[in-house]
Formats: sequence, C-alpha cells, structure tokens
Amino acid sequence: MKTKHIFTLLLLVAANMLLHGEDVSFRAQAPSQVIAGKPFQLTYTVNQRARDLKAPDFGDLDYIAGPYTSQSSSTSFVNGKRTSTFTLTYTYTLMGNKAGKYTLQPATIRVDGQEYTSNGVRITVLPPDEEPAAAQGGSTQQQSRQQETGSVSQDNIFMRTIVSKTHVHEQEAVLLSYKLYFAGVDVAQFTNNTKIPEFTGFLKQELEQGEIQTELEHYNGRNYQTATVYRTLLYPQHSGEIKIDAAQFEAVLRVQVRQQVRSIFDDFFGSYTNVTKALTAPGVTIYAEPLPKGKPAGFSGGVGRFSMTSEITGTEMKTNEAVTVKINIQGAGNMKLLKTPAIDWPEGFETYDPKVTNNFKTGTTGMSGSKSIEYLAIPRAAGKYTVPAVKFAYFDTQDKEYKTLTAGPWDLNIERGAGDKEQEAVVQNYVGKEEIRQLGTDIRYIHNAEPQYRKSGRKSYSRTTVVLCYLLPLLIAAALFVIFRRQIRENADITRRRYKKANKVAQKRLREAQRLMQGTDDAAFYEAVERAAWSYLSDRLSIPTAQMNKDNIASILHDKKVSEELIAEVREVLSTAEFARYAPAGDNAKEELYNRTAELINNLENSKI
Amino acid sequence: MKLLIIILSTLFAQANEQYAAGRYAEAADNYETCLSQQTEDGTEMTDESRAEVLYNLGNARFKQGELAQAILAYERSLRLNPGNKDARYNLEFARSRIIDDIADNRTFFFSSWARSMRDRLTENTWFLLSVGLFVIMLAALVVFALARVLWVRKAAFHTAWIALLLSVVSGIDALSLHRRDTERAEAIITQGITNAKSSPDRSGTDLFTLHEGTKVEISETLGEWCNIRVGNNEGWISLQHLERI
Repeated sequence: MKTKHIFTLLLLVAANMLLHGEDVSFRAQAPSQVIAGKPFQLTYTVNQRARDLKAPDFGDLDYIAGPYTSQSSSTSFVNGKRTSTFTLTYTYTLMGNKAGKYTLQPATIRVDGQEYTSNGVRITVLPPDEEPAAAQGGSTQQQSRQQETGSVSQDNIFMRTIVSKTHVHEQEAVLLSYKLYFAGVDVAQFTNNTKIPEFTGFLKQELEQGEIQTELEHYNGRNYQTATVYRTLLYPQHSGEIKIDAAQFEAVLRVQVRQQVRSIFDDFFGSYTNVTKALTAPGVTIYAEPLPKGKPAGFSGGVGRFSMTSEITGTEMKTNEAVTVKINIQGAGNMKLLKTPAIDWPEGFETYDPKVTNNFKTGTTGMSGSKSIEYLAIPRAAGKYTVPAVKFAYFDTQDKEYKTLTAGPWDLNIERGAGDKEQEAVVQNYVGKEEIRQLGTDIRYIHNAEPQYRKSGRKSYSRTTVVLCYLLPLLIAAALFVIFRRQIRENADITRRRYKKANKVAQKRLREAQRLMQGTDDAAFYEAVERAAWSYLSDRLSIPTAQMNKDNIASILHDKKVSEELIAEVREVLSTAEFARYAPAGDNAKEELYNRTAELINNLENSKI
Repeated sequence: MKLLIIILSTLFAQANEQYAAGRYAEAADNYETCLSQQTEDGTEMTDESRAEVLYNLGNARFKQGELAQAILAYERSLRLNPGNKDARYNLEFARSRIIDDIADNRTFFFSSWARSMRDRLTENTWFLLSVGLFVIMLAALVVFALARVLWVRKAAFHTAWIALLLSVVSGIDALSLHRRDTERAEAIITQGITNAKSSPDRSGTDLFTLHEGTKVEISETLGEWCNIRVGNNEGWISLQHLERI
C-alpha cells in the first residue's frame, strides 16, 4: 500500500519533470518591415501546452484573420537520452494601411496556471510602391522584357554606398556600408570579382558580417529587398576632404527565360538562366574636420567619449609590498589608438611595465569597450609619497571639446617592513650611498618680492661729477699734505734751535748752579744742576718733556751709539742730583756733582750726539 | 598719485599668479606692461625691482618657448642687478638651448675673464669702488709722505700702489660699462634663422647662418642694416632680425 503510494508520487514527479524540463519560451514573431496594403503574419510560439492567449490590441494595424493554432511535437533519443520538443503556434494575419512605425505590446498566455509574457514586436509599415497601377504594369512589362532579353535594368538592382556621417572630426568613426537593392529579380550570389577601394587616409576596421539577411526598404518610392553586403568602420587619419573610390561588385542573377518548352524537365531545370551583373557602389567624400587647437597635455589622440575609473590596492603599506593601481578607461571611440597613460612613480619605487587588457567590441556606431591597465610598483624605501595623478585627455565628439579625465593622485604612506629592518640591522655597515641624482633641469622659478620704488632721477653720474669725485679727494689730500708738512717743518725748526742752543742753555744753568753753590739753599742748587742736565738731554735728543725719564734717555743714547760708560755716567749723575735734592750731603758733594755734571755735558757735547 | 604704484604692484602680483597657473602669455604681457608704465609722480621702480620683473618676464618667455625674448629679458635683468644668481643661472640655461655655438679665437682667456668680472657689478658700483680706492690711495700717499717710521712708510707705499691699480681697473670697468650701455652695441638675434650677408643689401652673398637667441655685437649701422660681429665672423644683418639689449 505504502509502496504503491510512493510509486504514484514518483510517476507524478516524473511527469512534471517531463513537462517542465525546459523553461517556458513564449515568443512573438513578425517581419520587421511590411508593405502597406499587403497582409503579413504575426505568430506567437510557445514550447509548452498553453491556453488563454491574450493578444495585444493591434491598434492601427488591420486585423484580417486568426488566430490559427498549429502544434507539433517531436521526440528523439540521442545516446539513450530522450529529448522532446513541443511547439504550439498561434498565427494572426494582419495588414498595415498607413506607412509608419508600429509597436505591438507583449501578449500573455497561461501555462499550468502561470502567466507568461511574450516579447513586444516592432513593425515598420513601408508605403506601397508609387503609382501602383503604372509601376505594377511597368514591372510586369519590364519583367516580360527581361525575360525576353535576359538583361536587368538599373532600377531593379543597384548598390548604394551608405556612410553614417559625411562631416566628422579626425579619428571619429564613420560606418560605411555597401547595400544591395533589388526588386523583382532574384539574386543568387556574388562572385569573387569584387573590388573594394583601398580607403586611403582611413584606418579601417571591418565589421564581422554574419549571414546576409534581406530586409524590405522603401527607397525612392519603391520597396526593395535590401542586403548589406559589406560594412566597415573608417577612422579618418588626417583632416580635409578624403575621397573614397567607387566599389565594384558582381552579382549572379537568376533570370527566367521563356523558351519553347520541350519537356517537363526543361521546364524544371532550364527555364532559368544565370546572368552576371556588374554593380557599382558610388564613391563618397568624407569631410574630416581637424581637431581644434589647444590640445591639452596628456592628449594622445583619443577621440570619442570616454570615462575613467581607478582603483588602488592600498595607501598604507610596508616596504617591498607591491602596490597596484588599476585604471579602467571605458567608452566609445578610436579605442585601438588609445595610448596607455603613464604613471610617474616617485623615486624609490621599483616599477614594471603596465599590464593592459583590451576588451573592444566593434559595433555599427564605432568601437566601444574598455581598456584596463594595471600598474604594479614595489616601494623600496619608507616614507610618505604622492603618486601623481594620471591624466587622460581626449576629444569629446559630442561636446566638441577636449576633456581631461584624472585619476588620483594617491598619497601613499610606506612603513618600513619587518623584513627590511632585520636586513638593515645586519647590513647596517654597508648602506648603499647614493649621490643626489639630477632628474631633470629647468629654469629657476620666478621671484615674488613686492617691487620697491624710489624717486626717479639720473641713474648715472655726469662727467663733472665723475671728475669732481676724483679731483676733490686729490685736492684735499694735497692740502692735508701741505699743512702737515709745514707743521712738521716748524717742529723740526724748533728742535734744531733747541739742539743748537742746548749747550748754551746748559752752561747758563750751570753758571747759576755755581752761584748757588756758595749759598745756603741746597735744594735750589741741586734743582739747578738737575735742570741743567735734563734740559740739555731734552734739547739735544729732541725728546718731549712728557717722555723724559732715565730709561728712555738711556735707550736713545744707546741708539745713538754713545759709549756704555757715558750712558752709565748719565744715569748716575741724574740719580745723584735727584737723590741729593731731597737728602742734601756736604759742600764737597755739591762741588763734586757740579764738576761731574759739567764734565758729563762736555763729554756728551764731544761725542756729537 | 600713489595709486599708480599700487596698480603696478597689483599687476605684478597678478602676473605672478598667472605664471603660477601656467598662463605664460598673459603673465608675459603683464610683466611688459609693468616695465613700460611711466609713473607720473616722480617715482619709479628701483633697479633691483625692475631686474626682478625682467627676470620673471624672461621666465614667462622661456616657458612660452620664445628663447630670444627670454634671453633678452635675462640680459637686461642682469644689467640692472648683476647679483641676481637665478637670472644668471636661467640665462645660462636658456643659452644652452641656442643652436649656434660661437667659437671665438680672438678673445683670450684673460679678456673673457675680465669681461665676466666687469659684468658682475653695475657701472655705478664700479665707479664708487674706484673713487673709494682712489681716496684710500691718496690717504696712503699722505701717510707715506709724512710718516717717519720705516715700516709705516713701507705699508703706506704698498697700499697706495695697490689701491691705485685697483682704482684704475674699477674706473676702466665703469667706463666700459658706461660705453656698453650708451652704445648698446650688443644685440640678440630674434629671428628664428637668418643669414648674414656680405653687404648691406638683400642681394648680398650669404656668409653664415645665425639662429634665434645668439648674442652679437653691432659695430656699424647703415639704414636698415647693421654690421655685426659674432665670434670670428662678420657680416650684415637686417636690423629687424635682432634686438639691442
């Protein structure tokens, strides 16, 4: 009983799994372009059993018929694995009346009680061919003529060269496509005989061409099947008019040929013939405007729209720990030509080449994507450093001006690593000395001192001033010289007079002393003797009275080569006279001193001092 | 009346700010205005201040890439204040960018040394120095003539002749600087590239090529032309291709 229950449960689960093994897919499909007045089909496809389809309001599109449902399922075993598909399709037939763009809102459907929503659909209704009666008639006529001649007119098949812009800036992407237009003919294939121009003056980037799909397009009043055959992005490399030559294509058309039907096989195989048709896509001229002047520093040719983000692994670290700065430049433009901005790491950082990862996508509007750059550096010395900002300048094609993106600057605080310390302790004696390295040269900076002012006047001296400046001191010096010399001469005269009169004066004083010797005033006598000696020496030796003393006299006499005995006698006489003035001796002493003094003066006179 | 001084000072400060912001062309224009403004109240910038303005102008011109104008400004700045070491350094720096390398065999080492010594002071300083030394010489002579002690006389004599010699040298320097400033014979090539001709005539034979920033000596002028001497070369150049310092 219990086992039976479990079995039923398992069965239910399995069935459920079968049903819901896949996700529910519910999609709406319709041709993107339709011609007004021609019905078209809108289909809703769901891969599960479903019900309650709620189609949206078709709006201005005419509802003609539907929904017709159809379903198909298939089961296959591959390598013992069962795969089953199931498709349920609802088909509506609609028709557009007026040219324009229409949007169909999503439809809803219920699968197992759950509501699912489809995608919305956009439909462009193209106007019908102009002059419908005439054109239709013409086309049938043409067709019949073609069928007869096997040729195809220019109106029925041609190539167009389509450029997204004709006026661009240097380095701004232009999308060029060669598009085939055909109506009423059947294009089988293109031969290899195509000639695509060189695109000189451009940097070319071909777009990946998937399977060629045809689209309806209303052009010059007619609806054509179109196919884009070739697409490329072009980046003008210089300014001015750049011409693109015409491109040559060759298509193989299948043209029905009306022939006499000989057999049923002829009709089957031979009623069509292949006709090769040369097609020319006309050349175009692109006007490339030069980039405006005033390129900022750090501009490396980037044109487009970019943004920049930056990241740093850390700002606090130890020596010998790596630091990484990541810079990501995102945007659209000539990504391939972007130069990697450089980081000017401070001294003391070991730097490595940045690792650049490019992730570019080429789309119809140009190249877009991201360029991420990783800068790795290892600080080798501790300290506070500032890694200067990374500047990335580009020309913004939308705002038509240069823009500069900046990342950083980053202030790094590098501490001495633990390992570093030990290492240093060991090798402390071997500190690697470095000379101050000259990193660059530049002029010295301007001076900012406040200007000083003065009364304006002559800046250089006049000739007279110059002459006076020399003449005046000269005159003063001459005058001084004259004055001083006269003074000296006068002094010399006095000295000479005293010199000459010395003996006479001394004799006079001595006579006076002789007279006093008889008297009782001893002090007067001695004074007279002393004065006689002193004044004689003073006059004779031209010594000022202030400098008169025995030592001075002795040294001058010595200089004058007077004999030592005489000098000793001078000393003794002067001492005796001085001494006797205060302690008088007897009359004999008086006479003796007088005689000695007289004799001394006589001797000095004889020695011709 | 005082207002003008304030305007000048403000203009100078503004130019310095522009220089700091990297707007060298505007800064240079303002420096030029500072230099050309005449004051009405009988005051003017001191030579030192004019030298500073000229130095800054030289820097702005250099940053603009106008080498000849920069060299001119530095030269003029140094004439007003030969003691400005930064101006001398920058002048040498700017000269190192000149294309022409002047080889002059005629100037001996001594004469070039003498010239560089001369350019270290202004004319007035040399003159005052010369007068001062002359006075010292006279004093020494008076002492020499009157002193009776031998060593004093000897010392005075040597002082006198050394002072006289130096006074004469200083006087010559002052005179030479005076002549240089009145004749204004030295000039800087302002044209990017110019050819010296054999005659003061457009059709003259091209003798040699000179580049922007080179210093030449004008020995003679004739109409629109001047005869210049540079190194061992001599030729005629249009006056519009150079500017006197």
